Amino acid sequence: MAEEDLDRQAIEDLVESASRAIAGSENLDSLEAERIRYLGRKGELTKSLRSIKSLPAEKRPAVGNAINQAKERLEALIEERKTSLSASFVEEEPYPGDFTLPGRSGFSGGRHILHSVMGEIKEIFAGMGYSIAEGSDVELDYYNFEALNFPPDHPSRDLQDTFYINKDILLRTHTSPVQVRYMEKHKPPVRIIVPGKVYRNESPDPSHSAEFLQMEGLYVDENVSLADLRNDVTYFIRSFFGQDASVRFRPHFFPFTEPSAEVDMSCFSCRGEGCQICQKTGWIEIMGAGMVHPNVFRYAGYDPDAYTGFAFGMGIDRIAMLKYGIDDIRRFLTNDLRFLSQFWSEREMGE
Amino acid sequence: MKVSLNWLRRYVSIPEDPEVLAHDLTMFGLNVEEVLPLSPAFEGIVFGRVIDVVKHPKADKLVLCTVDTGEEEPLGIVCGASNVRPGIGVPVAVHGAVLPGGFKIKRTKIRGEASEGMICSEKELAIGEDSDGIMVLDFEEKPGADLTSRLGNDDVILDIEVTPNRPDQLSHFGIAREIAALYKRPLEINDLFGLDENDPFDLSIEDCEDCPRYSAAFIDNVKVAPSPPWMQKLLKAVGVKPINNIVDVTNFVLMELGQPLHAFDRDMLENDSIVVRRAKEDEMLVTLDGEKRELDKEILVIADAEHPVALAGIMGGEETEVTENTSRVLLESAMFEPRLIRRARQRLKLETEASYRFEREGDVGITKLALERTCRLLEEMGAGNPGPSCRDLVADAKRLEKRTVTLRASQANRLMGTHLSASDLASLLERLGMASVASDEQIDVEIPTFRRDISQEVDLIEETARLYGYEMIGHDTSASIHVFTARSERDIRNNKICNYLASRGFAEVVTTSFMDPGDPERLGLEQGDRRSGALKIENPLSASNSVLRTSLIPGALNVVRRNLASESEGLRIFELGKVFIPEKNNKGLPDEELHLLAVLAGNSRPMQWLEQARMFDFFDMKGELDGLLQRFGVDPGALEVLSAGTAVDGFIFEWLSDGQPVAEGGKISKKVASRYEIDDDIFYFDISIEALERTVVRSRYNDVSPYPVVKRDLCLIAGEKVTFADITNLFKKRAKFLESISLFDYYRGGRLGEGERSYTFRLSFRSPKGTLDDDIVDAEIEKVLEGLKRDLKVTLRSE
Ligand SMILES: [Zn+2]
Repeated sequence: MAEEDLDRQAIEDLVESASRAIAGSENLDSLEAERIRYLGRKGELTKSLRSIKSLPAEKRPAVGNAINQAKERLEALIEERKTSLSASFVEEEPYPGDFTLPGRSGFSGGRHILHSVMGEIKEIFAGMGYSIAEGSDVELDYYNFEALNFPPDHPSRDLQDTFYINKDILLRTHTSPVQVRYMEKHKPPVRIIVPGKVYRNESPDPSHSAEFLQMEGLYVDENVSLADLRNDVTYFIRSFFGQDASVRFRPHFFPFTEPSAEVDMSCFSCRGEGCQICQKTGWIEIMGAGMVHPNVFRYAGYDPDAYTGFAFGMGIDRIAMLKYGIDDIRRFLTNDLRFLSQFWSEREMGE
Repeated sequence: MKVSLNWLRRYVSIPEDPEVLAHDLTMFGLNVEEVLPLSPAFEGIVFGRVIDVVKHPKADKLVLCTVDTGEEEPLGIVCGASNVRPGIGVPVAVHGAVLPGGFKIKRTKIRGEASEGMICSEKELAIGEDSDGIMVLDFEEKPGADLTSRLGNDDVILDIEVTPNRPDQLSHFGIAREIAALYKRPLEINDLFGLDENDPFDLSIEDCEDCPRYSAAFIDNVKVAPSPPWMQKLLKAVGVKPINNIVDVTNFVLMELGQPLHAFDRDMLENDSIVVRRAKEDEMLVTLDGEKRELDKEILVIADAEHPVALAGIMGGEETEVTENTSRVLLESAMFEPRLIRRARQRLKLETEASYRFEREGDVGITKLALERTCRLLEEMGAGNPGPSCRDLVADAKRLEKRTVTLRASQANRLMGTHLSASDLASLLERLGMASVASDEQIDVEIPTFRRDISQEVDLIEETARLYGYEMIGHDTSASIHVFTARSERDIRNNKICNYLASRGFAEVVTTSFMDPGDPERLGLEQGDRRSGALKIENPLSASNSVLRTSLIPGALNVVRRNLASESEGLRIFELGKVFIPEKNNKGLPDEELHLLAVLAGNSRPMQWLEQARMFDFFDMKGELDGLLQRFGVDPGALEVLSAGTAVDGFIFEWLSDGQPVAEGGKISKKVASRYEIDDDIFYFDISIEALERTVVRSRYNDVSPYPVVKRDLCLIAGEKVTFADITNLFKKRAKFLESISLFDYYRGGRLGEGERSYTFRLSFRSPKGTLDDDIVDAEIEKVLEGLKRDLKVTLRSE
């Protein structure tokens, strides 16, 4: 390569680094500093102009010309940057020319639908003075059945298909064992909710799962009545499903409560007219409830004449399915992010 | 339990519409799951008389019938049945008629011959199972008369959920009794055939616990024949197949009164005797279903002098079955110990209408009455000569004693939140047929034998609540709620941790508590690892779900695989859940430990125009872990980090506090990932929530200094054995006024010596009391540098 070309290349490199520095200057002060660095009396470009003298005479005009051109380009760049920096934001040339380009994004995340529903329910009960108690998933037969007034070899045990570890140890079929365990350790008054996973030995289908979340409530004091139960349950249902929900109690049987009730709420979809969701009855079964059976108090060491109490229990999966119109319980454990992510948004969802 | 409305109407008047009745019963505690009308599903079926039958000219199996249906001209109908003959009355579907299922009848041609209608079979009209031939009508009508009401069934079936505490509702009479109480209506009493109890039949009961009562009646001159149509119709309506008069009557009384009966061919009983006893080991019995059953001493049997003839309370034996040749019948009506029946049913895997009721403990007071009812029906039907006496052996007389339960009005009101008087309560219970003596405050209630479920006061309170109406109980509360407890600290923190990770872009997942027994090995866990031995489920749904998880990792890897397969480029997920570590000491219950697992897999961000695509790496994971620990009160720099092993292309570290593990994290090896069919790199961390709770330090806030910061950049060269943590810890310990220390460059190799590393730090110093002089800062740095050189052989690069 000719010497002349080498010089030209050096000038180009200089322009290149200078223009990058100009574009990168963030305010007028730093821009001025860059101007001085390249175009000042002792600046880089000025220095190269002086070095022309050492070149052979025939080469001087060409190189001189190139340097002057470079100088003009840089002055223009500086002028432009100056305008740009002193201009207000809206007048600024939009980088890189298209406002509709997407912004930077990362992965978005969120809570699992079951846990956000559970969280909402916990909040409602926390506001009513319930505290949270938890128990173990692997439980003794004694706490899961016997102490809850399910006698051994009794047909009431057929109500819940059970996974066994051995004849004394099982996977809890409901959160109710915590009732007795909690009462054994605490004196009344007791006002707790018990969230947790429960297990049933049932083949999965759209409405059955071998494991699901449940929440239990227990309130024991000197004069707790069925009327108190109706109050708390109605408050919860209206807080969660809406103020216009009606609630009805139907007599039912659970070994560990008496009187026992199944709690229905008016169908939010058809408002009582009858539709697919409520199986044309206008009512949707929401939870089981009742007054704590005296035998359960006896097992827990409470005097059934001194205290009364109520208990209720609901399936969180079922409630989430109802609220969001989800038709297959198995979706919850599949964890397909295309499903889960639909429930991360704060917008109202439902039927 | 399926009940027929027409059958119920035999005992109580029910003018209500079936839907109204269903609603009222549901609100009374008898949940009606379905209301199924049996109304005729056909129209346009008329009486026809067959005048003539000739062969079809073109088809061997078809005939041409001439049928009078009241029209001017008889109809020509092609028919395929072999039992059609001149003179009989038949149901004819004429042009325009509709058969069950919506099938419309039109004039047509069959193999060239005109057919102007159709002669129907029972099956085609959906009123019976018989499809072999056409239905021959056993009554007379004018040709052309509409048969809808004569052939159809106007009955309605109610499917009622009967809970295990109420065996008394497992019969039409039992349900009718509830309806009578519900609507305050009288109950019809059945016609009975009075039987004396002095029959000398040789009957014995080995153990009164096993069989508190056994009643037997005897029928002579038995004539086995079909049962009357009215009975067949009711039985069919509730799904019982009619067989013959003897069997049908026992089924009818079972469905009517809920008492299971069994008819033995009396002449087949050895020595004309019966003993109720436990089976002997090695005894056998061929039951009515033809199965040969091996018995043992846990199984109660009915035996004759020689051997078992029936499984008590479950099923009779083939040998003593009533047949066409039977002339003498012994009718059994007994009561057995429910637990024995249940165990035998489970052991033999044989559930019957009888066992279902005996398991739930029926009514010991009804055995003889059921026989008297059966005898009356058999006599009416002319099926034989019952009586005149029966054998009624009450082995446990205590069971027949009258029981009294006391109900206190105050307790009833306290539990229900009502204000009812003792006499109000007494009149409620009277509707259920419970006699009582009421005083001001309490009522002594006599409990009928069919209500075994009522044994204490609260049982009566439930009955009064039901009769009074749950919906009548108001909302006025007597208890003032005076329990206000703080929310559990743990619950709040766990919720915050999850919300934090969610806002960091992690998706929360909830996976199964079960895992495959091969998972620990698949994860490469060593034999001694506490996660390698999992608790087994005795009766799992499937082998791949047969143990309880000891780690959240297998579940998460399955989620990763499924989501990467559905074209997700990369993902961050977490789960907060329990793992179950087997433990011998706690009655066999495992240690249930709460863990937080976070997993990063694939691309570090969705593909986009501004950023270069990059895979997640170890430091993405570590940054998230450090951020989380810091936010929840643990200084990650204060934890000891140990390598916990490496596998092919994978590595795991453990974070310890006071020697106890708090977290584990690293890269899943390619080998392990491939066992879960994942190609991408996977990084994870796993925090024990209990350990985190132990490590959390409460801290006080620091005042913010108004004085300027002094910054210094330092480039240090360290040997192989020295870590970033060693250097920063020394600075934090020694340098006064040090506000922060951050690393902004790190490299190895290049101009550095073997094993050497270069760290460039930016140090910020600030004093809360005044502006720091450069001299003071330089002196602090100098002090630390000396220490670094002396203790760690770390030097400034310029040196
Ligand atoms: Zn509806």
